[in-house]
Parts: sequence; C-alpha cells; structure tokens
Amino acid sequence: MEIYFLALGTLLAGALLSVIVKDSLKLKVCSLFSFLSAVMLFLPAAAVILTDTPLRADVYMSPLLGNVSFIIDPLSAFFVIVISFMSFLGMLYANGYMKPYLDKGMNTASHCLFLMFLIASMIMVVTVQNALFFLIVWEIMSLSSFFLVIFEGEKKEVLSAGIKYLVYMHLSVIFIIAAFVLLNIHSTSLTFDDFAASVQGNAFLSNLVFFLAFVGFGIKAGFVPFHNWLPDAHPAAPTHVSAVMSGVMIKTGIYGILRMLYITGTPGKGISYLVLVIAVISALYGVLYAITQHDIKRLLAYHSIENIGIIGIGIGIGMLGLAYHHPIVALLGFTGGILHILNHSIFKELLFFAAGSAYMKTKTRNIELLGGLGKAMPYTALMFIIGSVAICGLPPFNGFISEFMIYAGMFLGIPHSDISLFLTLVFAIAALALVGTMAILCFTKASGIMFLGEPRSAAAAEVKDDVSRIMIIPMAILAFLCFFIGMFPQYFAGFVIAPASLFVNGESAMPVFRSIVSMCENLSWFFLIFLVFTAMVFLLRILLKKKIASHTTWGCGYDKANNHMQYTASSYASPFISTLKPLFKRVSHIKKPKDLFPKDAYYEQEIEDIEEAYIVKPLIKWDEKILSKFERIQSGNIQQYILYGLVFLVLAIIGMIWLG
Amino acid sequence: MITLLNILILLIVPFLMIGVIKKTKAFWAGRKGVSIWQPLWDFLRLMKKDAVVSKTTTWVFRAAPVLGFTSVVFAALFVPLAAGKAIIDIPFAFIIFSYILGFGKFFSLIAALDTGSSFEGMGASREACFTTIVEPAFFILMASAAALSGSFSFASFKMILENAGPYGILIIALAVVTLFIMLLTECSRVPVDDPTTHLELTMIHEVMILDNSGVDLGLITWGAAIKMFLLCSLIAALVIPASLGAWVSIAVFLVIIFLLAVIIGTVESSMARFRMSHVFEFVFVMSLTSMLILALVTYRIYGG
Repeated sequence: MEIYFLALGTLLAGALLSVIVKDSLKLKVCSLFSFLSAVMLFLPAAAVILTDTPLRADVYMSPLLGNVSFIIDPLSAFFVIVISFMSFLGMLYANGYMKPYLDKGMNTASHCLFLMFLIASMIMVVTVQNALFFLIVWEIMSLSSFFLVIFEGEKKEVLSAGIKYLVYMHLSVIFIIAAFVLLNIHSTSLTFDDFAASVQGNAFLSNLVFFLAFVGFGIKAGFVPFHNWLPDAHPAAPTHVSAVMSGVMIKTGIYGILRMLYITGTPGKGISYLVLVIAVISALYGVLYAITQHDIKRLLAYHSIENIGIIGIGIGIGMLGLAYHHPIVALLGFTGGILHILNHSIFKELLFFAAGSAYMKTKTRNIELLGGLGKAMPYTALMFIIGSVAICGLPPFNGFISEFMIYAGMFLGIPHSDISLFLTLVFAIAALALVGTMAILCFTKASGIMFLGEPRSAAAAEVKDDVSRIMIIPMAILAFLCFFIGMFPQYFAGFVIAPASLFVNGESAMPVFRSIVSMCENLSWFFLIFLVFTAMVFLLRILLKKKIASHTTWGCGYDKANNHMQYTASSYASPFISTLKPLFKRVSHIKKPKDLFPKDAYYEQEIEDIEEAYIVKPLIKWDEKILSKFERIQSGNIQQYILYGLVFLVLAIIGMIWLG
Repeated sequence: MITLLNILILLIVPFLMIGVIKKTKAFWAGRKGVSIWQPLWDFLRLMKKDAVVSKTTTWVFRAAPVLGFTSVVFAALFVPLAAGKAIIDIPFAFIIFSYILGFGKFFSLIAALDTGSSFEGMGASREACFTTIVEPAFFILMASAAALSGSFSFASFKMILENAGPYGILIIALAVVTLFIMLLTECSRVPVDDPTTHLELTMIHEVMILDNSGVDLGLITWGAAIKMFLLCSLIAALVIPASLGAWVSIAVFLVIIFLLAVIIGTVESSMARFRMSHVFEFVFVMSLTSMLILALVTYRIYGG
C-alpha cells in the first residue's frame, strides 16, 4: 500500500516540477512522472486482482475527517490500472498534440498541473473509502477537468461548453451528496464499510440511495437524459483531454454506480429494470445522434454515450441476474460490462487520438471538409479504422468480446424467467443488435468520409505528411491492445472476473467463471483460424501474380469527376435519418437568393438534440423566469451580501436549536 | 464424414444455386438460358484476369474483397449445413455468425467509399441502412427460438416444432418468411435490389463493387454466393425435421436449397424491384414477422 501513496506522491511531484521547468519540458516531465506512477500502481493493483486480497491503509487526515481509509479491492484495482495507464498514454500523445500551441507561445503550466491533478484525483476517487474525502477528491477531479476543458477559453463556444460542464457536474454532486447524507444519517459514520452494514436488510433505503447515486454518478457517466454536457465538452477540450475524459474520467461515474451497488447489496427488481432501461435508451440515443453529427469529436462524444449505455446494459443485466438469483446471468453481465469499460477506454482514446491527429493537420473537425487523408496519413488512417472496427463490436477486436459476454448473459437469462424479464431481455438483445449495426453505419461514415476517397476541401488536400512519432506510438499501443484483447480474451477474462465476482456469490460463480474462460479460449482459437485463413487468401492473391493497372474511378465512362461529386457524410447518413424523421429536430438556416443578380445565398441544416431542445431548454427558461424574481435582492453591494450570509447563519442556528 | 461432405457442398453448391436462379429466370422469360455451371466458369475466368484499380483508392480497397470473402467463409463454419450439422457447433454461434459478417460488411462499405465515386457511396449508404433493420429482427428470432428450446445455438431451430405445440407450424412459417426477407435484403435480390439492372442509380450491392475487377471481383461474387447459400441453409434448418436419417436429411437439404433458388428466380421473374422508399417498408416486414413470432412464443410459454 506504501507504493500506492508513493505513486500519488510521484504524480503530485510531477505536477509541481512541471510548474518550474521551462515550457518545452513541462509535458515531458508530466509524461515521465505519470509513467512512473502508472508502473508503481500497476504492481499492487495487479497483485490484488491475481490474489483477490484487498489492500488497505488508514491515514489520519484531520480532526474533521478522522482516519480516512484507502482500499484497493479488485474493483478499485481494475479502475486504478485503467486510469493510470490510459492517462499516461494521453499524456504521451499530448507531447505531440500540444506542440503547435507551444510554438504559438501559449502557457501550458496550468494545463500540465491540472492534468496531473486530474490523474491523481481520479485514482483517489476509485480507492478512497470515506464519503467526505470522496466528495473532496471528486470535486478536485471535476474542477481540474473543467480547467482542462477551457484551455482555449478565449473562444466563446469553448467557455460556454466549459460552464455547461461545470453546471452539470455540480448537479451530479447534489445527488451524490444526497445519497451520502442519507447513508450518513442512517449509519452515523462516513466510511463505506459502515454504510454497507447499515443498509443491510433495509430495502427501501438501499433502493433510494442507489437511485440517487445512480442519477448523480449517471450525470458524470453520461447516461441519457443527463448526457447533454458530453457532446459540448468533448469538442471544446484539447484532444488528449477529451480522450482522457471520455476514455477514463466518465468511467469514474460507472465506478461510483458499481461502488454504490456494492454498498447497497442485492438490488431490487424495480431498480434493476430502471438501470437496464436507461442504459438501453442511452445506447440507442447515443448512436442515433452520432450518426447525425459531422463534427468528428461530437460524433465520438455521442458514441461515448452509446458505449456507456452498453456498459450500463451489462451492469443492468448483472443487477437483474442478482435480483432474480441467476448467478450465471449476473456474472456474465458484470464481466461483460466491466470488460467493456476497459475496451471502451482503449478504442475511444484511439479514435480520439486519430481524430485529433487529423484535426491537427487540417484544422477542421468537420468531416464534410475532409477526405482522402488516408494517403498522406496512412498510419493515422489505419489506427482510426482499427478503432472503428473495435468500437462497432466486430471480431476479432476487443469490443466483440465484451458485447459477446453481455449477449451471452442475456440469452442465458431467457429460459426460466418470468414474462417481464423475458420481454425485457429480448428487447435489450434486439436493441444491442440495433446499436451494433448503427455503429457500423456511423463508423463507416466517419472513417470512409474522413480518410478515404478524394479530399473535399483545400485544407484536406494540403496535408502532406503524417503526424509525429510521439503521437503515433500511443495510437499503435492502443490499436495493438484492441487486437490483442480481441484475439486472446481468456487472459483478460480473469482480469475482469475478479471485480465482477465481488457482486456475485463466489462459490456459485466458480463453474461459471471456468465456462467463461473456456468460451474465451474457444473464441481465441476461432479467430486464429480466421486470421490464418485470411492470410492464406491474401498470399494466394499475391501468388496469382496478376497485373494491376491504375485508372480513375469508374464513372460510367466519365472520367473527369471531381471531389465535389463524391458522396458526403450527410448524404451517406440521409436514408437512415429520413427513415427515423420523428426522432430528430431539424433546424434549418436559410438565406434565400434575392434580386435579379443574387449574391450570397446558403442553406444549412443541423440536427438538434431533442432532449436538449424539449427538456433542458424549457427547464432553463422556466428556471430563469422564477429566478428573475429574485433579481431585486441582488444589489451588487458587498455589505448587503454579508448581511444575507449573517441572516442565514442566525436562522440556521435558530433552526438547529429549535429542532434540537 | 458429414463434415467433409459439408465442406464439399460449401465449395460447389453456392455457384450451382446462382446457376439455378439464372436458369429459372431464363425459363420464365422463355429463353433456353446458360448452363447452371456458368457462374462457376465465370468465377474461374475472373480468377485469370488482371485487375484495374482506381488511383483514388488506398489499401482498404484492395483488402476489402479478401476480408469480405474470408469473413463469409468463416461464418459458414457456424451454420448448420447438410444433415443439420454445423462444422463448428457451439452455443451462441449465431452471434459470431452475425458479427463476423458485419466485419466483412464494414470493409466492403468503406471500400466503396474509398473509390470516391458517388454511385458507390450511394450503394454503401443504402446497404448500411438496410442492415440496421435486418439485424435486430434476426436477433429477436434467435431469442424466441432460444426461449422455446432452451438451446443457444442454431440447433434451437430444430426444436421449435416439438416445443411450440399448436403454434409450431405458424412459428416456423413466420420464421421462414423472416429469414427469406433477410436473404432477399442481405443478398441483394429482387424486390429489394436488382442484381442485373443496367442503371447504377437503382442498385445497392452491385453498385458498391463497380470498381472491382479480376480476382477481387471473383472473390466478391463467390462470397456473395456463399452468403446466399448460408441463409438458405438456415431456412432449410428450420423446415427439415430432426427425425430424418442422415442421408435422407442431406438429400432433403439439397432439394430445399435448390427449391429456394427456384423460388428466388420465380420471384425475380414475376415482380419488379420496389421503389427505394418502399424497400424500407418491405424490409420492416421482417421486424413485424419476428415480433409476431415473439408474441406467439410469449403466449405459448407464459399464456394460459
């Protein structure tokens, strides 16, 4: 456990050191220190997972907090490894990505500082066992990521996205605090252990607490309908920050949900259905809106919502398995969900990195202006395509393995279930299949339009070379992981079954554990056959020694086609979007041609998030209407504000005395 | 033994099926038609040809035909063929089947976009869109079959009849309709798509491969033929009773495969391709039939 504190110390030392060294060295120092801490954290965390014995340390913090205990149990260990390793890769990528900003002379001191704070606070969030200290590090995490988002705060949309993020995060904290306060009142303690002991047998309280926590952590994770901050914050933030946020930070929300599930024990049926339904809606909603997006980072942000949904489906199936006492279903659900956390963090970072590389070279995130980048940037294109295949859940890549486990859990739940569980499972299966195919539509669009075909604008045509090696290396590592986990899932099944079996009774789960591992071994063999066979066909084609002539693309005899005649992203998605018209709100901006000699005219159409248009915006309007009534007490006079504070304190004291 | 026979069937029958479809169409048109071996000769001729590749394309375009072909062949390992036996028979084989076909499809879609041709982009867009309707219906069908039989592989098809009681025939009929629409959609047959039309604007699958030639085109046509054969095998697995002896079952299997080819050919001769907007409605019928199956299965298990 000492090594854990040493790692945290390393992160903070790196943060402080990065402040004093000169600009060009800052990120290098941060990368080095985050690498060291990742290695240091990997050892105890891996040991915890392999031996299944949690590590624990109590630290005396302050009179208020008392002894704060840090525990690395298998669940924490899993998250610690994911967070430290993925953040390090993000840091490595930042070395290349931030170069143009450094060349412009922008100050990155605070950026580096907050990056290190973010990593350290995330690691503490997933290990601390004290509710109050948890909230403190949770807040540090939210704030440091807020400052990272507004790195380019001089742009208006970046700042407003950042503020939106901040508001959502504080809404999230309100619900988490409410859950903790309920537990605190009931147990008169702040430690998670006491929380768990106090709610045992109290079904109403544990359901209520879990519901509050699910809403609170769900806002962080980005479940629909609390997802609205995601598609704004990700495009605003620098790429490595969006990658770390999307790949890792939103998973702390999932961690919170899992931890609260661990505290509140076997869930009720109602709440389990709720989690599953919300997760299914998130997955469908996320991918549906991803298809409509042309801003690549917004598209990826919506895909994070989709994948959080898939993780949630896994957790929901796990919870239903617990509620209905199907240990097999529960274990498969949790294993699939937790493995998908790892998988999503890998391919989402990969996709963000590749998209960021394209942005760095072309200075546009609008995929309608890209195209043909695959020739100038072959490595980035390859990485993006690998990431795309993986995120669509296609074999032999990692996304398939977790989705396969979730499917298996759902199918195994079908016999011996009651009618409501049966129908829920069947529709969840259909939804997961639908999500998978829509993801294929979305990512063939993204990779095809961005990297293939002919350049659609001058910005794309002028790209001459690929990004620097320091940016390729993290992508290559991630792409290799996508492939490796997909090919050899049996080694990773053990890695995620340890955290998953926290939730499921150990003994009944053991045979299931073995069958999951052997299932993964089978998959591994099948994919090996597939690879060997594919390699043989490739070889055969080479051995046939056919001449390859080069010509323009076939255009029915017309060979003067230009790049504006290509299919665009909008036209690619159009048949699908027009089929599902009622689910989208289209906003058109038209300037019609006027006069005899019309000068400028344009037509632009965008698709607005219906949740934002019909729920969030009316709420804000309504909110403004009520709050504007209070404007008159806002004088701008500081003395007056101090008076308000004083009056409030006096009232609070009177209230406390009165209530005893 | 049966596995060897299945591999042999897998190699030859797909081309023969295409030949039978062509022969049927020729019969209805009052022509003599080409030999049913012609698709095989066409394939062999393509394998001898050199290729022309567009300057716009990248490695994706060259890799896609191979990946598409190998993914279909790999998917074939999991499908029950003659005598109802899959070469690899494991639980949840249909998930691997469906997703590995998705893998091949992913590459054929981006290869179409790789050419920079708006024809091919259009075909890819339609193909991607129809897939989104097909897959959920297929999974609902599989889930219903699993609920009835308690089996999680394609073997569940065999057990529908004995477990479904009075609704057995109805469920199987609906399942056949579902899979047949899936076949028409996935294999681009009339009325979803017209593989022999001369107008690129109205095509789906065929327009995606406009730029492929030589060996690549050969692999694509072979892959497409195998895919159609696989979906026909699924239909055969639904209707062939489990009680038949091995050799009878193989004979019945082959008869059904060629009967389906005749039906496909007859459908193509008797109707025109739907307008693109109607194609969606047609493919949605598949969701409807799978929902009906689900309703019947739910009623059978939980009702009364």
